Amino acid sequence: MKIIIPHIHKIEGDAGFWARLTRKGEVKDLEFQTLLGLRQIEGILIGRRYFEVPIIVSRICGICPVPHILAACTALEKALNIKVSEQTILLRKLLLAANIIYSHTLHLFFLSLPDFFDIESDLEFLKKFKKESKAALGIRKFSEEILEIVGGRTVHPITPIIGGFAKLPEKENLRKALEKISKAIENAIFLIDTFKKINYPDFKKKTLFVSIFNGRDYPFYLEKIVKIGKEKFTVGDFYSTKIEEDLKNPPVKRVKFKGKAYMLGAIARLKNNEEFLKESAKEKLEEFRKENKIPIKEFFKNTYFNLFSQAIEVLHFLEISKDLIEEIIKTPLKEEKIEIKFKPSSGLSALEAPRGTLFHYYEIDKDGRISNCNIITPTAQFLHNLEEDLKVLLPKILKLKKKDQIRKIRSLIRVYDPCISCAIH
Amino acid sequence: MKRKPKIAFFSLTSCEGCQFVLIDLGEKFFNLLKKVKLIDFSLIEEIPFPKGKVKIDVSFVEGLPIKKEEVRLLKKIRKESKILVAIGNCAALGGIPEMKNYQGKERTIRYIYKRLDGILNPEIKEIDNFVKVDFVISGCPINGEEFLKFAKDLIKGKIPKISQKPICSECPHQGKKTCFLKKREPCLGPITLRGCGAVCPKNSQLCYGCRGILKGINPKGFLETLKKFKKPEEIEDNLEIFGIKDNIEKLKAL
Repeated sequence: MKIIIPHIHKIEGDAGFWARLTRKGEVKDLEFQTLLGLRQIEGILIGRRYFEVPIIVSRICGICPVPHILAACTALEKALNIKVSEQTILLRKLLLAANIIYSHTLHLFFLSLPDFFDIESDLEFLKKFKKESKAALGIRKFSEEILEIVGGRTVHPITPIIGGFAKLPEKENLRKALEKISKAIENAIFLIDTFKKINYPDFKKKTLFVSIFNGRDYPFYLEKIVKIGKEKFTVGDFYSTKIEEDLKNPPVKRVKFKGKAYMLGAIARLKNNEEFLKESAKEKLEEFRKENKIPIKEFFKNTYFNLFSQAIEVLHFLEISKDLIEEIIKTPLKEEKIEIKFKPSSGLSALEAPRGTLFHYYEIDKDGRISNCNIITPTAQFLHNLEEDLKVLLPKILKLKKKDQIRKIRSLIRVYDPCISCAIH
Repeated sequence: MKRKPKIAFFSLTSCEGCQFVLIDLGEKFFNLLKKVKLIDFSLIEEIPFPKGKVKIDVSFVEGLPIKKEEVRLLKKIRKESKILVAIGNCAALGGIPEMKNYQGKERTIRYIYKRLDGILNPEIKEIDNFVKVDFVISGCPINGEEFLKFAKDLIKGKIPKISQKPICSECPHQGKKTCFLKKREPCLGPITLRGCGAVCPKNSQLCYGCRGILKGINPKGFLETLKKFKKPEEIEDNLEIFGIKDNIEKLKAL
C-alpha cells in the first residue's frame, strides 16, 4: 500500500510525502520530500565581500530573515574580533523577538489552526473565526511595526549590519509601539486560550530536544552552550563533533546527533528552558497542563504541543519585547563607529530562529572576502525527527478514509512548521 | 452579477518573501481577495492547481524555475493566464541565486556537496527566458502598497503604466550632503526604477538596484563615474548582488 501527497500546501516552500506500507500496516519506506530548487547560497557566498553576507543570507528565507542576518553578523564579528555595544545587543534582541512573534503567529493561525477545524482555505477560516483572526492579525501587525521601526523593513530588514546598525530607530516610534504592546499581549492571551481549546491528537514518542542554553534566562540571541537532552556542549563542540550533515543526499543536508534524530523549535526551547519563561507565559503553560491533566513528561512526548508551545512563546516574546523597548528608550541612542581590520580568521555562531537553533559558520580572508561558509538551518535538523513521528502516526490512521489520512499527515507535518526555503538554501 | 476576475499566486524556488509582503498587508490584501476568485495561492489554501483548463485572468509568479517541474508549471501558468506578472527580484532579474552564473558552472556547488551526480545545477534564468511576461512588479522584496496599486489595474485587465523615474526622485538624501554619491559611495539610485520609497538609502544602505535598471537609459556613463569612487571590481560585485549585471551587459552590447 502506498500513500502519496504530491504537494503539501500551507508550509513555507513546497514539499511532498511518500510512504509504502506492508499489508499488515507496517511502514516500509517513508519520505518527506523537499521540492524546491537549490539556490546554493553557501557556495555563492564564497568570494563575496563580508558586508554582503547579511544582505545575501537574509534572502534564504522571507519569513525568518532576522535570525539569518544576525547569525551572519555575529559569526563574522567573532571572526573579525568586533565587540558590539550593549545598545546593539538590545536592538538585535528586539528584532529577533519580533521575528519569532511574526513567524509563529503566521504559522499558528494561517497554516496550522485551520487543520483542527478541517478548513482548507484561510479565506474561509478568516470568515468563520472573526475574533481569532482579528487577534492574530493584531499581534502580527505589532511585530511588523517593530521589525520596520528597528530593521527599516519587515521582510528583509535593512539596518542590521556587521558591527551594529546602519541606522538607529527613532525613539519616538519605539515609544509609540510601547503604547500598543498591552493590546498585543491581550491578543496573545486570547490566542493561547484558542489553542488551549483545540483537540490535540493523542501522540507519544520520546525524542531529544535541542536549543541554546545559558541557565539564567530564556535564551534566544547568541549563546555559548547547546543543550541536547540532559547533555550540554559548547556551540563549537556540538557543531563540529556531535552533529553530522549528510552531504551526499542533496538537496537538503539533513542532520543527526550521534546518529540520532532530534527536535528543535518552540517545544524544544520550552523543554530546555521552561523555568526561565516570563511569569505570565509560565502560568499559562502550567494552567493548560493542569486543566488537561497532562504530566510534564507527557507534554514533551506529544509533538502536537509544539503549537501550544509557540502560542506560549508569542506571549513570552511580547513580554520580552516590552522589557527591551523600556530598556532601550531609557537612554539616548548613540551613533557608533566600527573599525574593521581584516585578517584570515573564522567565526561560528548559534542563535534561536523561530523553528530552532540556527548555525552560521564563516571563514574570511585577508581582504575581507568569504573563503568558506556553512549554514545549518533548523528545518534541516528536524526532518529526521519529523519522519520518525510520521512513522508513529501512520499505523494509527490506516483505518481512516484516504482523504482523512492525508489530512492527518499534512497536519502533523505542519505542526513542525517546516521551512523548505531554509532547508534547501 | 459581474463575473469575478480569476487570479492566482505561484511561488517557484525563492525565499517566498514577496508572498509574505502580501500577507503582511493584512486586511488590505484579504479585502482584495474578496473581489476576485482565487484559483491558487498555496501558502493559504489546500486546493491543488487544476490539471485541466482554468483560464486565469491574472497570474502572479514569484521566484525562479530551477527544477524541471517548475519549468513545466511555469509554462502551464502561461498557457492558462491572460496576464502573467513577474513579482520580485528573482522572477524579474534572477536575484541573489543568479550570482552563481558568474562563478563558474561547478565551482559554487562543489563548496556545498560532496556528490554531484543527479544534482540539479542549471544556469539561473529569469522567468521571461521561458515564457512571455506581461508585467513586472520588481523589488527584493516587492513593496506591498505598490503591489496593491498595480493589482487594481491588473485585475481589471489593464497593464499599468510605470513612469520611468529613478530612486533618487523619492530619496530623502537627494541634493543633500548625506547623498551617498556626494560621499563617493557607489549608490545605484540614479539608474534604478523607483517605487520602494528609496527604502535602502532611507535606512543608510546603498541602493544595489534590486528593482532593475530604468528603461530607455544607458547606464554606461554613470557606471564609469562610479568606477572612479571604488575599484571597478567592486562596482561589478555590486551589480551582481541583485542580478542586474547581465541586463547591463546586454545594454552595453547594443
